[in-house]
Amino acid sequence: MGQDVASGGDPQADRENVIRNAERTDPGMVRRHAQQRLVSMVAGPIWVGVSVLVMRLYFRYRIADVRRVRASYRRIRAESKAPLLICANHLTMVDSFLIAWALGSGLYWLLHPDELPWNTPERKNFGRTRLQRFLIFVAKCIPITRGGAREDVGEVLERVKYLVAQGETACIFPEAGRSRTGRVEENAAAWGVGRIVGAVPGCRVLCVYQRGRKQTTWGDWPEPGDTLDVSIACIEPKSDARGVRRSRDLAQQIVRQLMRMEEEHFDARK
Amino acid sequence: MDRAEVMDRVVKILTPWVKDEAALAKVSMETNILEDLKVNSARLVDVVIAFEDDFDIEIADEDVDQVNTVGDAVNLISGKL
Repeated sequence: MGQDVASGGDPQADRENVIRNAERTDPGMVRRHAQQRLVSMVAGPIWVGVSVLVMRLYFRYRIADVRRVRASYRRIRAESKAPLLICANHLTMVDSFLIAWALGSGLYWLLHPDELPWNTPERKNFGRTRLQRFLIFVAKCIPITRGGAREDVGEVLERVKYLVAQGETACIFPEAGRSRTGRVEENAAAWGVGRIVGAVPGCRVLCVYQRGRKQTTWGDWPEPGDTLDVSIACIEPKSDARGVRRSRDLAQQIVRQLMRMEEEHFDARK
Repeated sequence: MDRAEVMDRVVKILTPWVKDEAALAKVSMETNILEDLKVNSARLVDVVIAFEDDFDIEIADEDVDQVNTVGDAVNLISGKL
């Protein structure tokens, strides 16, 4: 048993406090977020459509049993209006696109734009040129420099906390970077994801395990023509700990869930 | 406890996670924990928890946002003692 957050016990009211606090302490961030959200929504038909076409026609990826995956996702969404953070294993630079595509069709995301997850790509990979920065701005990305100045990392986490509290969602990789061993590693887990979950009362976590059938380890993208197996599970991490211990505890719960899903993935292929 | 003593203990706590021993040898208050000492950012939470245990203090997530250098850690801890 654990508590979501030290509060009066009303998660909705607590989430509204998170939002009001952000509006009061960082109105610039709130304004920038609203602008980027609007641009992304307006440009959605273009960038979402192009992304789907590139994955389907250029890379020729397939999501195995995609209807079942998407139906499961819609069912999880329908079960509760509580905030939802997506956490997934990380093997390639295009995981965010693959995960979004697995969870919903291009048309689904155009009709439910606030459900389309925000992402936090590594600035060194995706934010080096002006064109890259423009494209990721349009594509709902908030670049982060892993290992960068703590204030900058903290600002990104605060923004993700804010957007999740107000009902949008983000896709975060608890391992932070792509797994160099090709497997989910508990000791590689960063605690930023735990910080977000711990700060948004009632936050659920949609764990997504995805892997190409030809994928043996990390890389830039799955081999063209690959079929990806995707499994999802919704958890509600809780912790009685406080401070950074609480964030680490929550992050570890998420990573352990992903490790279980990975084990099931490989067991199913024996 | 004075700042020098806090710094000695901070450096001792950091040591197992430091990957650049040369930088550790010339550590100062300005030494950057991630860039100079090459501590893995994913392990920062373990470092902070070690600070909490050693100094018997509580450090909030937001406090960690202010810690880039050894000096930042010393100042944060000294402020809580």
